[in-house]
Amino acid sequence: MATLSVCSSPSLTVSSLPQIKYTSISNSTSTNVASISQSLSSLKLTQMPSFVPKSTAQLAEPQTTVPEESQKPKGEEIFAVIMVGSRQYIVFPGRYIYTQRLKGANVNDKIVLNKVLLVGSKTKTWIGKPIVSNAVVHAVVEEQTLDKKVVVFKYKKKKNYRRNIGHRQPITRIRIVGITGYEDSPFATLP
Amino acid sequence: MNKKEVLKLAKGFRGRAKNCIRIARERVEKALQYAYRDRRNKKRDMRSLWIQRINAGSRQHGVNYGNFVHGLMKENIQLNRKVLSELAMHEPYSFKALVDISKSSFPGNKKPTAPPKVGLQILV
Repeated sequence: MATLSVCSSPSLTVSSLPQIKYTSISNSTSTNVASISQSLSSLKLTQMPSFVPKSTAQLAEPQTTVPEESQKPKGEEIFAVIMVGSRQYIVFPGRYIYTQRLKGANVNDKIVLNKVLLVGSKTKTWIGKPIVSNAVVHAVVEEQTLDKKVVVFKYKKKKNYRRNIGHRQPITRIRIVGITGYEDSPFATLP
Repeated sequence: MNKKEVLKLAKGFRGRAKNCIRIARERVEKALQYAYRDRRNKKRDMRSLWIQRINAGSRQHGVNYGNFVHGLMKENIQLNRKVLSELAMHEPYSFKALVDISKSSFPGNKKPTAPPKVGLQILV
Protein backbone atom coordinates (compact mmCIF):
# COMPACT_ATOMS: atom_id res chain seq x y z
CA MET A 1 0.00 0.00 0.00
CA ALA A 2 2.98 2.28 0.51
CA THR A 3 3.82 1.87 -3.14
CA LEU A 4 0.30 2.84 -4.02
CA SER A 5 0.72 6.27 -2.47
CA VAL A 6 3.98 6.71 -4.35
CA CYS A 7 2.33 5.86 -7.62
CA SER A 8 -0.59 8.16 -7.08
CA SER A 9 1.58 11.29 -6.88
CA PRO A 10 2.52 11.93 -10.57
CA SER A 11 -0.84 12.37 -12.25
CA LEU A 12 -4.48 11.41 -12.33
CA THR A 13 -4.17 8.65 -14.90
CA VAL A 14 -1.42 6.90 -12.97
CA SER A 15 -3.39 6.98 -9.76
CA SER A 16 -6.39 5.52 -11.48
CA LEU A 17 -4.42 2.70 -13.09
CA PRO A 18 -2.95 0.99 -10.04
CA GLN A 19 -6.11 1.18 -7.99
CA ILE A 20 -8.01 -0.76 -10.58
CA LYS A 21 -5.30 -3.22 -11.44
CA TYR A 22 -4.03 -4.04 -7.98
CA THR A 23 -7.34 -5.56 -7.16
CA SER A 24 -6.92 -7.74 -10.19
CA ILE A 25 -3.40 -8.76 -9.15
CA SER A 26 -4.61 -10.44 -6.03
CA ASN A 27 -6.75 -12.90 -7.94
CA SER A 28 -5.12 -13.00 -11.36
CA THR A 29 -2.51 -14.92 -13.32
CA SER A 30 0.96 -13.84 -14.36
CA THR A 31 -0.22 -12.66 -17.76
CA ASN A 32 -2.10 -9.85 -16.09
CA VAL A 33 0.95 -8.98 -14.04
CA ALA A 34 3.08 -8.84 -17.16
CA SER A 35 0.63 -6.52 -18.86
CA ILE A 36 0.53 -4.31 -15.79
CA SER A 37 4.27 -4.15 -15.50
CA GLN A 38 4.47 -3.19 -19.15
CA SER A 39 1.84 -0.51 -18.79
CA LEU A 40 3.46 0.81 -15.64
CA SER A 41 6.97 0.78 -17.08
CA SER A 42 5.70 2.94 -19.91
CA LEU A 43 4.88 5.56 -17.29
CA LYS A 44 8.60 5.74 -16.30
CA LEU A 45 8.32 6.08 -12.58
CA THR A 46 11.56 5.91 -10.63
CA GLN A 47 10.15 3.78 -7.86
CA MET A 48 8.63 1.19 -10.12
CA PRO A 49 11.61 -1.15 -10.67
CA SER A 50 11.93 -1.79 -6.95
CA PHE A 51 8.30 -2.74 -6.75
CA VAL A 52 7.49 -4.67 -9.91
CA PRO A 53 9.87 -7.58 -9.40
CA LYS A 54 8.47 -8.09 -5.92
CA SER A 55 4.94 -8.58 -7.10
CA THR A 56 5.98 -10.88 -9.91
CA ALA A 57 8.08 -12.96 -7.55
CA GLN A 58 5.23 -13.34 -5.10
CA LEU A 59 2.94 -14.52 -7.81
CA ALA A 60 5.54 -16.65 -9.52
CA GLU A 61 6.27 -18.71 -6.43
CA PRO A 62 2.96 -20.54 -6.20
CA GLN A 63 2.94 -21.01 -9.94
CA THR A 64 6.31 -22.75 -9.94
CA THR A 65 5.31 -25.05 -7.11
CA VAL A 66 2.09 -26.17 -8.72
CA PRO A 67 3.70 -27.83 -11.75
CA GLU A 68 6.12 -29.73 -9.49
CA GLU A 69 3.27 -31.26 -7.60
CA SER A 70 1.48 -32.18 -10.77
CA GLN A 71 4.65 -33.65 -12.24
CA LYS A 72 5.16 -36.15 -9.46
CA PRO A 73 2.07 -38.27 -10.03
CA LYS A 74 2.35 -37.72 -13.78
CA GLY A 75 4.67 -40.73 -14.17
CA GLU A 76 2.00 -43.38 -13.92
CA GLU A 77 0.10 -42.19 -10.89
CA ILE A 78 1.00 -45.34 -9.09
CA PHE A 79 1.61 -45.99 -5.44
CA ALA A 80 2.47 -48.95 -3.28
CA VAL A 81 2.24 -49.88 0.36
CA ILE A 82 5.51 -51.38 1.52
CA MET A 83 6.71 -52.80 4.78
CA VAL A 84 10.11 -51.59 5.93
CA GLY A 85 11.40 -52.22 9.40
CA SER A 86 8.01 -53.47 10.60
CA ARG A 87 6.39 -50.21 9.56
CA GLN A 88 4.19 -49.67 6.57
CA TYR A 89 4.57 -46.75 4.21
CA ILE A 90 2.60 -45.52 1.23
CA VAL A 91 5.25 -44.77 -1.37
CA PHE A 92 5.21 -42.97 -4.71
CA PRO A 93 8.00 -43.20 -7.28
CA GLY A 94 10.24 -40.15 -7.10
CA ARG A 95 9.56 -39.33 -3.48
CA TYR A 96 11.64 -40.22 -0.47
CA ILE A 97 10.77 -41.72 2.89
CA TYR A 98 12.59 -41.96 6.18
CA THR A 99 12.80 -45.49 7.47
CA GLN A 100 14.46 -47.17 10.35
CA ARG A 101 18.19 -47.49 9.86
CA LEU A 102 18.89 -50.11 7.23
CA LYS A 103 22.05 -51.68 8.56
CA GLY A 104 24.82 -52.42 6.10
CA ALA A 105 23.36 -50.24 3.38
CA ASN A 106 25.66 -47.61 1.96
CA VAL A 107 24.72 -44.34 0.35
CA ASN A 108 23.71 -44.73 -3.31
CA ASP A 109 23.07 -48.45 -2.85
CA LYS A 110 20.15 -49.73 -4.83
CA ILE A 111 17.80 -51.72 -2.67
CA VAL A 112 14.87 -53.92 -3.52
CA LEU A 113 11.87 -53.95 -1.25
CA ASN A 114 9.72 -56.99 -1.85
CA LYS A 115 7.26 -56.76 1.01
CA VAL A 116 4.63 -55.00 -1.06
CA LEU A 117 1.23 -55.16 0.57
CA LEU A 118 -0.75 -53.19 -1.98
CA VAL A 119 -0.22 -51.53 -5.32
CA GLY A 120 -2.62 -48.95 -6.64
CA SER A 121 -2.93 -47.08 -9.89
CA LYS A 122 -5.65 -44.83 -11.20
CA THR A 123 -7.72 -47.68 -12.55
CA LYS A 124 -6.60 -50.80 -10.70
CA THR A 125 -5.68 -51.98 -7.26
CA TRP A 126 -3.55 -55.00 -6.52
CA ILE A 127 -4.30 -56.17 -3.01
CA GLY A 128 -1.84 -58.56 -1.44
CA LYS A 129 -2.96 -61.38 0.82
CA PRO A 130 -0.74 -60.48 2.56
CA ILE A 131 1.81 -59.70 -0.17
CA VAL A 132 1.42 -58.87 -3.85
CA SER A 133 3.33 -61.72 -5.46
CA ASN A 134 6.42 -60.71 -7.48
CA ALA A 135 5.78 -57.03 -6.87
CA VAL A 136 8.97 -55.16 -6.11
CA VAL A 137 9.76 -51.60 -5.15
CA HIS A 138 13.17 -50.28 -6.18
CA ALA A 139 14.79 -47.63 -4.06
CA VAL A 140 18.11 -45.88 -3.60
CA VAL A 141 19.67 -45.17 -0.23
CA GLU A 142 20.17 -41.42 -0.08
CA GLU A 143 21.34 -40.75 3.43
CA GLN A 144 22.16 -42.52 6.66
CA THR A 145 21.39 -40.00 9.36
CA LEU A 146 20.09 -39.52 12.83
CA ASP A 147 16.62 -38.34 13.65
CA LYS A 148 16.01 -35.18 15.67
CA LYS A 149 17.23 -35.25 19.23
CA VAL A 150 14.79 -36.43 21.84
CA VAL A 151 15.35 -35.47 25.46
CA VAL A 152 14.65 -38.46 27.67
CA PHE A 153 14.02 -37.00 31.10
CA LYS A 154 13.05 -39.45 33.81
CA TYR A 155 12.20 -38.33 37.30
CA LYS A 156 10.87 -40.00 40.41
CA LYS A 157 9.73 -37.81 43.23
CA LYS A 158 11.14 -38.25 46.75
CA LYS A 159 13.56 -40.94 45.54
CA ASN A 160 16.37 -38.67 44.44
CA TYR A 161 16.19 -40.14 40.97
CA ARG A 162 16.55 -38.24 37.75
CA ARG A 163 17.98 -39.07 34.37
CA ASN A 164 18.55 -36.64 31.55
CA ILE A 165 19.60 -38.44 28.40
CA GLY A 166 19.59 -37.31 24.80
CA HIS A 167 18.68 -39.78 22.11
CA ARG A 168 18.93 -39.67 18.37
CA GLN A 169 17.35 -42.55 16.51
CA PRO A 170 19.38 -43.73 13.53
CA ILE A 171 17.33 -43.47 10.35
CA THR A 172 17.80 -43.92 6.64
CA ARG A 173 16.42 -41.84 3.84
CA ILE A 174 15.53 -43.83 0.75
CA ARG A 175 14.22 -42.51 -2.51
CA ILE A 176 11.70 -44.64 -4.34
CA VAL A 177 12.76 -45.24 -7.93
CA GLY A 178 10.09 -47.51 -9.29
CA ILE A 179 7.46 -50.14 -8.72
CA THR A 180 7.51 -53.25 -10.90
CA GLY A 181 6.38 -56.83 -11.17
CA TYR A 182 2.85 -56.42 -9.94
CA GLU A 183 1.07 -56.66 -13.29
CA ASP A 184 0.50 -60.42 -13.32
CA SER A 185 -1.21 -60.57 -9.95
CA PRO A 186 -4.98 -60.51 -9.63
CA PHE A 187 -6.39 -57.01 -9.23
CA ALA A 188 -9.57 -55.12 -8.61
CA THR A 189 -10.66 -52.58 -11.18
CA LEU A 190 -11.87 -49.24 -9.95
CA PRO A 191 -14.71 -47.13 -11.29
CA MET B 1 20.56 -28.82 33.16
CA ASN B 2 22.06 -25.41 33.51
CA LYS B 3 20.15 -22.18 33.78
CA LYS B 4 20.63 -21.20 30.15
CA GLU B 5 19.27 -24.44 28.80
CA VAL B 6 16.29 -24.38 31.15
CA LEU B 7 15.31 -20.85 30.17
CA LYS B 8 15.70 -21.73 26.53
CA LEU B 9 13.28 -24.61 26.93
CA ALA B 10 10.92 -22.38 28.94
CA LYS B 11 10.36 -19.98 26.05
CA GLY B 12 6.67 -19.37 25.53
CA PHE B 13 5.64 -20.53 28.98
CA ARG B 14 3.12 -18.44 30.87
CA GLY B 15 3.72 -16.01 33.69
CA ARG B 16 6.90 -16.30 35.74
CA ALA B 17 7.56 -19.78 34.39
CA LYS B 18 9.42 -18.25 31.47
CA ASN B 19 11.58 -15.79 33.43
CA CYS B 20 12.28 -16.99 36.95
CA ILE B 21 14.75 -19.82 37.02
CA ARG B 22 13.29 -21.62 40.05
CA ILE B 23 9.83 -21.75 38.60
CA ALA B 24 11.06 -22.28 35.08
CA ARG B 25 13.11 -25.28 36.18
CA GLU B 26 10.07 -26.82 37.85
CA ARG B 27 7.90 -26.30 34.81
CA VAL B 28 10.52 -27.50 32.33
CA GLU B 29 11.12 -30.66 34.31
CA LYS B 30 7.44 -31.33 34.45
CA ALA B 31 7.10 -30.59 30.78
CA LEU B 32 9.86 -33.04 29.91
CA GLN B 33 8.15 -35.69 32.01
CA TYR B 34 4.95 -35.07 30.10
CA ALA B 35 6.88 -35.27 26.86
CA TYR B 36 8.33 -38.63 27.88
CA ARG B 37 4.89 -39.94 28.82
CA ASP B 38 3.15 -38.54 25.78
CA ARG B 39 5.62 -40.05 23.34
CA ARG B 40 4.15 -43.33 24.54
CA ASN B 41 0.57 -42.07 24.63
CA LYS B 42 0.94 -40.69 21.13
CA LYS B 43 1.00 -44.21 19.75
CA ARG B 44 -2.37 -45.03 21.33
CA ASP B 45 -3.87 -41.67 20.44
CA MET B 46 -2.89 -41.98 16.81
CA ARG B 47 -4.18 -45.52 16.62
CA SER B 48 -7.57 -44.48 17.96
CA LEU B 49 -7.62 -41.58 15.50
CA TRP B 50 -6.86 -43.93 12.60
CA ILE B 51 -9.62 -46.25 13.74
CA GLN B 52 -12.09 -43.36 13.76
CA ARG B 53 -11.07 -42.45 10.24
CA ILE B 54 -11.33 -46.01 9.00
CA ASN B 55 -14.73 -46.31 10.63
CA ALA B 56 -15.94 -43.17 8.90
CA GLY B 57 -14.55 -44.37 5.59
CA SER B 58 -15.93 -47.89 5.74
CA ARG B 59 -19.35 -46.73 6.92
CA GLN B 60 -19.66 -44.79 3.68
CA HIS B 61 -19.72 -48.19 2.03
CA GLY B 62 -22.12 -49.67 4.56
CA VAL B 63 -19.70 -51.60 6.77
CA ASN B 64 -18.68 -50.69 10.27
CA TYR B 65 -15.09 -50.75 11.42
CA GLY B 66 -15.24 -54.02 13.32
CA ASN B 67 -16.71 -56.03 10.48
CA PHE B 68 -14.41 -54.39 7.97
CA VAL B 69 -11.28 -55.31 9.90
CA HIS B 70 -12.66 -58.79 10.64
CA GLY B 71 -13.09 -59.31 6.92
CA LEU B 72 -9.55 -58.15 6.24
CA MET B 73 -8.22 -60.54 8.89
CA LYS B 74 -10.11 -63.40 7.30
CA GLU B 75 -8.63 -62.55 3.92
CA ASN B 76 -5.17 -62.22 5.52
CA ILE B 77 -4.71 -58.64 4.41
CA GLN B 78 -2.13 -57.21 6.78
CA LEU B 79 -2.40 -53.49 6.12
CA ASN B 80 -2.14 -51.59 9.37
CA ARG B 81 -4.47 -48.93 10.72
CA LYS B 82 -2.25 -46.08 9.65
CA VAL B 83 -2.15 -47.13 6.02
CA LEU B 84 -5.85 -47.99 5.95
CA SER B 85 -6.80 -44.55 7.24
CA GLU B 86 -4.53 -42.86 4.71
CA LEU B 87 -6.06 -44.93 1.94
CA ALA B 88 -9.54 -44.02 3.15
CA MET B 89 -8.65 -40.34 2.94
CA HIS B 90 -6.52 -40.11 -0.20
CA GLU B 91 -7.27 -43.23 -2.25
CA PRO B 92 -11.00 -43.72 -1.85
CA TYR B 93 -11.31 -46.16 -4.74
CA SER B 94 -8.58 -48.44 -3.48
CA PHE B 95 -10.20 -48.28 -0.08
CA LYS B 96 -13.51 -49.26 -1.62
CA ALA B 97 -11.83 -52.29 -3.21
CA LEU B 98 -10.65 -53.29 0.24
CA VAL B 99 -14.14 -52.86 1.65
CA ASP B 100 -15.54 -55.02 -1.12
CA ILE B 101 -13.04 -57.79 -0.39
CA SER B 102 -13.85 -57.54 3.28
CA LYS B 103 -17.54 -57.78 2.51
CA SER B 104 -17.23 -60.78 0.23
CA SER B 105 -15.19 -62.65 2.81
CA PHE B 106 -17.96 -62.24 5.32
CA PRO B 107 -21.23 -63.82 4.12
CA GLY B 108 -23.40 -62.27 6.84
CA ASN B 109 -22.29 -58.85 5.76
CA LYS B 110 -22.68 -59.47 2.05
CA LYS B 111 -26.45 -59.74 1.88
CA PRO B 112 -27.67 -56.15 2.14
CA THR B 113 -25.50 -54.67 -0.60
CA ALA B 114 -24.63 -57.81 -2.54
CA PRO B 115 -26.36 -57.30 -5.92
CA PRO B 116 -24.50 -54.22 -7.19
CA LYS B 117 -21.12 -55.59 -6.06
CA VAL B 118 -21.27 -58.91 -7.90
CA GLY B 119 -19.34 -57.72 -10.92
CA LEU B 120 -16.45 -56.45 -8.85
CA GLN B 121 -16.35 -59.43 -6.57
CA ILE B 122 -15.82 -61.82 -9.45
CA LEU B 123 -12.77 -59.87 -10.48
CA VAL B 124 -11.50 -59.77 -6.95
